[in-house]
Amino acid sequence: MSGRAVAAGTSLVAGAETRVSRSLPRLFGSIAAVGAVLAAVPLWVGDSRVRMGVAILGLAFACYAIGFNLIFGSTGQLFLCVGALAGVGGYGTALLADRVGVPVVAALVLAALGAALVGGLLSWVAVRRSLGVIFAGIITLIFALSFENLVLGASTITGGDSGIQVSAGSGTFLRERTTAYYVMLGLVLLCLVVHGLLRRSRVGWAFRALRDDEVAAELAGVDVARYRVYAALVGSAMLGLAGGTYALIAGRVSPTTYGFAQVDVVVIVMLAFGGIGTLVGPVLGATVFTILDELLIELGQLRLLAYGVLIIVLFLWIRRGLIPTLAELVRRKPGSPPGTAPDGEPG
Amino acid sequence: MTASILDGIVLGLQFGVLAAGLTLVYGLGGVLNLAYGQIAVVSGLVTLLTMEAGVPAVPAALIGLVAGGALGLIFDLTILQPVYRRHGEARVLLSLLLTLGAAFVIDGYLNWRYPLRGLNLRITGDPLVVFGVRMRMGSVVASGITIVVIGVLYWLFRYTRLGRAIRSVIQDEEGSRLVGIDPQLMMRLILVLSGVLAAIVAITRSMVAPVNVRAGFSLTVLGLIVTVVGGLGSIPGAFLAGLVLGIINSVASSYIGTFLSLIILLVAAAITIVIRPTGLLGVRE
Amino acid sequence: MLEVEGVSAGYRGSDVVRDVSFHVDEGETVMIIGSNGAGKTTLFRAVCGLLPPSSGEVRFLGEDITGLPAQKVVRRGLAFVPAERHLFPQMTVEENLMLGAYPEKPDPDTLETVLELFPRLGERFRQLAGTMSGGEQQMLAVGRALMSQPRLLVLDEPTTGLAPIVARNAYAALERLREQGLTILVAEQQVPLALAVSDRGYVLENGAIGLAGTSAELASDPRVRSAYLGVV
Repeated sequence: MSGRAVAAGTSLVAGAETRVSRSLPRLFGSIAAVGAVLAAVPLWVGDSRVRMGVAILGLAFACYAIGFNLIFGSTGQLFLCVGALAGVGGYGTALLADRVGVPVVAALVLAALGAALVGGLLSWVAVRRSLGVIFAGIITLIFALSFENLVLGASTITGGDSGIQVSAGSGTFLRERTTAYYVMLGLVLLCLVVHGLLRRSRVGWAFRALRDDEVAAELAGVDVARYRVYAALVGSAMLGLAGGTYALIAGRVSPTTYGFAQVDVVVIVMLAFGGIGTLVGPVLGATVFTILDELLIELGQLRLLAYGVLIIVLFLWIRRGLIPTLAELVRRKPGSPPGTAPDGEPG
Repeated sequence: MTASILDGIVLGLQFGVLAAGLTLVYGLGGVLNLAYGQIAVVSGLVTLLTMEAGVPAVPAALIGLVAGGALGLIFDLTILQPVYRRHGEARVLLSLLLTLGAAFVIDGYLNWRYPLRGLNLRITGDPLVVFGVRMRMGSVVASGITIVVIGVLYWLFRYTRLGRAIRSVIQDEEGSRLVGIDPQLMMRLILVLSGVLAAIVAITRSMVAPVNVRAGFSLTVLGLIVTVVGGLGSIPGAFLAGLVLGIINSVASSYIGTFLSLIILLVAAAITIVIRPTGLLGVRE
Repeated sequence: MLEVEGVSAGYRGSDVVRDVSFHVDEGETVMIIGSNGAGKTTLFRAVCGLLPPSSGEVRFLGEDITGLPAQKVVRRGLAFVPAERHLFPQMTVEENLMLGAYPEKPDPDTLETVLELFPRLGERFRQLAGTMSGGEQQMLAVGRALMSQPRLLVLDEPTTGLAPIVARNAYAALERLREQGLTILVAEQQVPLALAVSDRGYVLENGAIGLAGTSAELASDPRVRSAYLGVV
């Protein structure tokens, strides 16, 4: 594959936000702002158990979106096994704590490490040669389906279709809706801080370099393959941690908790809303999506169709993310062209 | 053991046809179609609905094939147009995202309109004894059709001007333009062919086991595994890998457990990528 | 036969060749000489439809073919042999030649002519193109182009990567094609070889035509002599 083709390869995400704030106060400022707004949500919906459940799930998805964004937005690896990696965390935590008897916190950490290991391994396999981006998509999709088959098939351990109750965490603050919400919010902020610090570090510089021009990055001495695997490791750890924490809060896990159609499609839509490669975009996207999903609940199965349409539309026309584009439109004078970046491709 | 190997060959032939449709589209246009399995499912459903309308099975199946080809053509004319305007990895990435979106659109519609439906073409007849193993008539007919399809594909690509033209685009797109071949037109034809192949897989599979409306992603993923192992863009590779993986799958299913068979195939694909990234017979890097 | 008028072309919005005009008459052999990077390849790609020109006009056999895609240009009788040849490496010599006639069935007489011109291709008929030597691949590229029975054969640096003796053989073949009355346009850095077989020539410098004249005029021009013929 020619250098031009490889360089162009990342242009889908290269149109995304590249300016990265160097100042720590600004970084923590934006994360704190997100935290403050989301912290107020229980005051608003706190008396509805159902709505709190939806809000907690929304936060779990925000974590998924941050992890996916770290992998896809930073290094262009399309990980189509977000749900499965979260499931490794969820089922791992539940089984380690309930069946093996590992203390809850240790079970959670071990399960998250397990997810990191699986994600890192998939990435390592995929980045072997120049076809990394393609193989990442293929092999993660294969893994996603394998995981679903495994969960459904090994029903003596996983409960099959109906899933299993998670007794670990019951009777603790994790099962109190409000405290559980703040635990999940804390996890969102933790993921944001980790991603934010990563972006500011040498690793972040390498991510941007290889995203903008892989060949140039390679020439500048960035070990492209290694940084892709790093991103997959860290992002997958976030997915596993969020999946595990959600299992402890929800008190039950089933194949649909972490299903491909239930998680991956949603996370991709969230990212398309919030903006690929941005720091807080995934959280904004998750918020917008959670509200939208509640409004569309009447549609039932047709929601999947609607999200499919959204993925096509958003990735075709508004590749920087809906929210950043709208923000830019508001900021710009009316009449100027919208913020869809040109392809940078001849013909 | 003979029985599971024979089953594996039956399955492997279908794997090969399944992967051929994916690998041709990738080899020709650098496009990966993640809605491929959904095309198969829609074709199967069209066959089912046509049969329910009172049409006999054979013409209904032919209508299913037409539906598969038409769906391939629709993909080419709609969501793949913006994909063609990109090059290299950006093209693959956009094709992955857009066809994934299309797959969800189809899955969402089918799950809403036709939940729990599935095509099941029962072929009646006494079992046939092959190598001392009793084979169900459905398996025999399905394999017969699949072998004919493979033969037709071989003839098409080996001996016809059109087949040669398609191979030339895979080997050197610019070279093919210089001898007067329109790569866009070839791509369109290949998407139609790939849709027909998906339909053939759905119909022949339904002679062995029901193909329900939720099978889309499983079919895509099986096709992807075979494609990766056989080498992206290689048709002979697709058939070789199909046979190998079909036998592995069948033997693993009967000796270890069905739910683990996909994991075993995943491991096979991962090992192939690590050891030989171009696949068994792949030429492209 | 071919008229190129004011053509500019390039990549990503910046033109490599600017406002180039030249023409090729029926039966002529015309060469474009120029050093590496002068824009010969870009110019030829624009002429034969691989790269739409950003401005200007290309007329062939009296018809406007500006921006017509390469696959349609070749069917009108303009066959292009690029410097990188773009053969089909996993196909046999025979299959490559047959594709040259696409979409028609290969004409037996044309095939015979090609095999007479390049007997080597007959010997290697069933060999895969990718496994042949550079000189043989160049023969195959020209042979494949001839299979379309072109009115005009356009060659971009046909001697790239060839040993001197092989390069001379290649030009001997061109000389025979010229004698058979084929119109030929060739871009070349190896100016002495090309001058010997051509009627007229243009010098392309930094993307623009610097000099034009008959081969004899160019061969005696002091600038050409010092820059391309190595005569001080």
